[in-house]
Amino acid sequence: MTAKISITVTVNGTAQAADVEPRLLLADFLRENLDLTGTHVGCEHGICGACTVLMNGDSVRSCLTFAVQADGAEVETVESLGSIDELGPLQQAFREKHALQCGFCTPGMLMTATDMLRKYPLETDDDIRDGLSGNICRCTGYQNIVAAVRSAADKRDGK
Amino acid sequence: MSPPDDIDLTRPQFIGAKVMRREDPRLLAGEGNYVADIKRHGMLHIAFRRSDHAHALITNVDVSAAQAMEGVVAVYTGADITRLANPYQATSRMKNYQATFIPPLAVDKVRYVGEAVVAVVAISRYVAEDALALVELEYESLAVLVDPEEALKPDAPKLHDDLESNILAAREFARGEVAEAFADAAATAGGRFHFTRTTPVTIEARASVAEYDKGTRTLTLHCTTQIPGIVRDKLSEIFDLPGPRIRVIAPDVGGGFGGKTSLYSEEIVACAIARDLGKPVKWVSDRMEDLMTTGNAFDEIVDAEIAVAEDGRILGVKADVIGDVGAYSIYPWTATIEPVQVVSFLPGPYRIANYAARVRAVATNKTLTGAYRGVGRPISVFVMDRLLDMAARKIGMDPAEIRRRNLVNDDEFPYKAASGLVWDKSAFQACLREAADGIGYDELRREQAAARADGRWVGIGVACYAELTGVGSRIAVAPGMPINTGTETCNVAIDSTGAVTASFGLASQGQGMETTLAQVVAEELGVKVEDVDIVLGDTASVSHGTGTYASRGAVFGGGAGILAAKAVHEKIVRVAGHLLEAAVEDIETGNGDVRVKGTDKSMTIRDLARALYSDMGRVPKDMRDEIDNLEATKVYDPFFGTTTSASHMCLIEVDPETYKVEIKRYIVVEDCGRVINPLIADGQAHGGVAQGIGVALMEEVIHDKTGQVLTASLVDYVVPSAVEIPSIDVVHVEAELPGTVGGFRGLGEGGTIGAPACIANAISDALSPLGIEIIEIPATPERLFRLVEAAQAD
Amino acid sequence: MAALAASNGDAKVLAGGQSLVPMLNFRVVDAPLFVDINGIEGLDLIEEKEDGGLRIGALTRHFALETSVSVRDRFPVLHEAMKHVAHLAIRNRGTIGGSLSHADPAAELPMMAVLLDAKIVAAGPDGEREIPAGDFFTAPLTTVLAPDEIVVAVDLPGLPAATGWGFEEFAQRRGDFAVAGVAALVTREGGTVTNTRIALMGLHDTPVRARSAEAAFGESGIEAAAVAARQDADPMNDLHGSADYRRHLAEALTRRVLTAALERAAQ
Repeated sequence: MTAKISITVTVNGTAQAADVEPRLLLADFLRENLDLTGTHVGCEHGICGACTVLMNGDSVRSCLTFAVQADGAEVETVESLGSIDELGPLQQAFREKHALQCGFCTPGMLMTATDMLRKYPLETDDDIRDGLSGNICRCTGYQNIVAAVRSAADKRDGK
Repeated sequence: MSPPDDIDLTRPQFIGAKVMRREDPRLLAGEGNYVADIKRHGMLHIAFRRSDHAHALITNVDVSAAQAMEGVVAVYTGADITRLANPYQATSRMKNYQATFIPPLAVDKVRYVGEAVVAVVAISRYVAEDALALVELEYESLAVLVDPEEALKPDAPKLHDDLESNILAAREFARGEVAEAFADAAATAGGRFHFTRTTPVTIEARASVAEYDKGTRTLTLHCTTQIPGIVRDKLSEIFDLPGPRIRVIAPDVGGGFGGKTSLYSEEIVACAIARDLGKPVKWVSDRMEDLMTTGNAFDEIVDAEIAVAEDGRILGVKADVIGDVGAYSIYPWTATIEPVQVVSFLPGPYRIANYAARVRAVATNKTLTGAYRGVGRPISVFVMDRLLDMAARKIGMDPAEIRRRNLVNDDEFPYKAASGLVWDKSAFQACLREAADGIGYDELRREQAAARADGRWVGIGVACYAELTGVGSRIAVAPGMPINTGTETCNVAIDSTGAVTASFGLASQGQGMETTLAQVVAEELGVKVEDVDIVLGDTASVSHGTGTYASRGAVFGGGAGILAAKAVHEKIVRVAGHLLEAAVEDIETGNGDVRVKGTDKSMTIRDLARALYSDMGRVPKDMRDEIDNLEATKVYDPFFGTTTSASHMCLIEVDPETYKVEIKRYIVVEDCGRVINPLIADGQAHGGVAQGIGVALMEEVIHDKTGQVLTASLVDYVVPSAVEIPSIDVVHVEAELPGTVGGFRGLGEGGTIGAPACIANAISDALSPLGIEIIEIPATPERLFRLVEAAQAD
Repeated sequence: MAALAASNGDAKVLAGGQSLVPMLNFRVVDAPLFVDINGIEGLDLIEEKEDGGLRIGALTRHFALETSVSVRDRFPVLHEAMKHVAHLAIRNRGTIGGSLSHADPAAELPMMAVLLDAKIVAAGPDGEREIPAGDFFTAPLTTVLAPDEIVVAVDLPGLPAATGWGFEEFAQRRGDFAVAGVAALVTREGGTVTNTRIALMGLHDTPVRARSAEAAFGESGIEAAAVAARQDADPMNDLHGSADYRRHLAEALTRRVLTAALERAAQ
């Protein structure tokens, strides 16, 4: 067994120190070591997007990142967007627009949408669809997810 | 207590309201409880070594090196599981059906690539997978059958030595005189239709956590299943455990679409190991395992022909269906469910006097075929609606018009379809009419003509379908199966804290039943939606239930919920009559209160419960002896079930150079009876159409000649993203309600049933100047390229 | 560098990991050592050069290229190509050095390197060397890099003033690897075409220049070039398209990119 490496990752604002195998995926570190099971694993090859988190502010696939690569980094997961009793504005938009059914792709969608809203103007709904094209949903047909992100973009732009 | 006069305490209407979902806060906040999230102290992890041969004898299994690896706790083979679990098979009373035993771990033979052979149990999934490489397996290859037409030949090698052949099921349907009909026809059209194999691809892959309590000798299986009751009942036989000793719980489940409606080997193995080791064990499928082993869908070859009169009336239809059902007959639905539904639903909502159809379900060395959204009906509609368009083209009739002339009219219900199914009543014609209006059909035809003149390949597609939903005990969902799909149970209980709970044998994978069923029960009882807790997916909560499949949730859950809530409401009203000193007829409930009509005498239902349960003497003994408590259990059997129908229309454009298909407009007009929650109903339509688009244009499970699965990753098995799915207009037609309790029809599968046919018709329409008819699904750019090349070469 | 050298060719370089880690997760690739180079300072700069070109550090993330004003102004064809590279989350991590080293013949950056006559700067224990893009890729997923070398920079020479561009990619879905892609640069001086470059993606073992198409364009124009592109392609059959279909796309996409490039050159 390969020797473990000591890392410290700031997750949702809290520094987390751990000794981990180099091959431990960030997704598994979050879910198993830190019990943050909001981040889901859907494919382990970077296609479905369910595992998306923010690392140093950028959306990344936590299934394609090793925990050791997050040493010294700031990681934000879906748990940072709001709580059950107080959903954040993006989560609230998803709720109002019925933008989730089974909820499994949802955390990844929310983190991708968070990054998209910061990085892109999203002038048209086609722009939103483009931005979401790396997150697969099998339940909703995407329509309501687009509507939710549109509503969040409008709020962002003061519309 | 005296509420102000202007508050209306007559019951608010929750049914039909856009209530925001109760599931959402926890799912949005990342606090959902999916099986993969479950952790138990001392939990071990299972990884499966799977066959890389499609058909072979297992000549050697040596697990010693794997067992010796640090971190490995145990290794199980087929021989071990034979010792720990009783054998099982999916039986059926259908004539000509051959059942197959399904070994949870292969014993002497493997029959498809991906079949589980050895289970390694270790301290982590990472270590378990490390150990897989140390398992030594030797095989002696056997002839591989991947072509069902080869496999059905009498001299074909048999997948199961104890069976007579590889034809696991065969049926014929006939009505009228088909030969005469074809002889008299003004025009006939036909072809060899091929609808490929697909797989559900739920974003959450399958998973199981099994734990065994040694003290109470109880096995609990947390499982990503749509059918907890069916799994529990069968595991009870497999492990000789009575109901209370084997509990199956489906927590939050990330999508099902039918792929989680079968009993899977991994579930049995996890239970066997948990019981044997006395430790909790977890297995989570990775995506490759999912793409290789979750029940596949469709995969039929249909030779079909239609005969029409000059005025477009259908004179007759004939079809010969070969269904490729994979290596075993899946439990519980059997290998019959998919292909037989193709022929029983082929006549669709159309008036057809003469019909002859045959179906054979053929075993091959591929993944098992199971139930997937639409089950058989997408192919039925694809074939029937393609035939209609082909015939229409031959006689120069508009596709919408030929359907108007053949759809069963309102005054013909109940209508017995050519296959024997009965359509009780549904708005077939109104749906078509409103779809045409909604999409602006006539205007689109004009636009199409202009676009064609510009050299653009624009097409309009139409498809109409009907299905039976909420099917009760009169017809088994898969005829001749040994499980009862015709009833569901609901227990409604108000407890001594005044809390309302409604428990069902159903399970939810995203359909929002915690919300919709709360709406139904709340309305019936007269309480607030947020005050009804819905319990789903737990076999401990009802004595019998099967689960969620065949679009039955609304009909069965809504119906059973209403019956049970009504019974509890009667009790509330009786007790209230006593406590408020009024006649029972003068009592009404609403918003969680009971009130004497026209007065300000009222109390909360919570106070009433306290009075009944905890305030000794407040309710007289003889009343309490009669009503017992504020609880009732009812079982609902809709008996016949009811017809759900819809019309789909779409506008597409094919790029004349790349052959990529762009869907520009899409409308679904459905008669789905009384809608409980329009947000959820529309969401089901969006999702169903999206899956139908995937099936129509890009999804395909591909096996090579040796039976290897070539589409074993999401790079190669392509499902649509947000860019490939357009906005979909969904319209609910207000039609006469069915006779089900609550007036609900089933919905959920309609999108996948109608979309492939609609899109195939649209592409054929776009390519009609070249004389191309789409008879193979998916219509990928590659396939369109071949068709266009061939057409242009002529 | 030392770690790579010491491993005798068994180590693998880990940059963005967007291509390598999926293969690790599938267990189709393994190595005794992974050298994570993400921490190396100074390899993520985009420097403007005097010849109008750019020197791009190997660790420059795709997203940085996508949003770089210098790239948009100096190499609009590259700016366009970046929009097709996978998805935002991949672009946040993936690097140009990684993409070129991975050498997928259906990827955008290898094709851009060939189109733009890039010089790929590699560093090893014995120092740095410059490798022309045309020589860099030798086979699918194979480059001339030695096991102890890594890409440190990509040098893009400046383009002449009146150069128009065209870029067309065909994929089954947005962001997928290309089934086929073509890009072109056309320079017009005083009404005459003085320079044409056409590159193909997903149509050969490696990204390639479509030499017969370039020649045919010079002699006879767009149609001839499009047809000639079929000869320059040597595509494979796979699940996502047959060789015949890909050849068909080579022609169709070449036609489109040359038309667009000519129009832009005229502006």
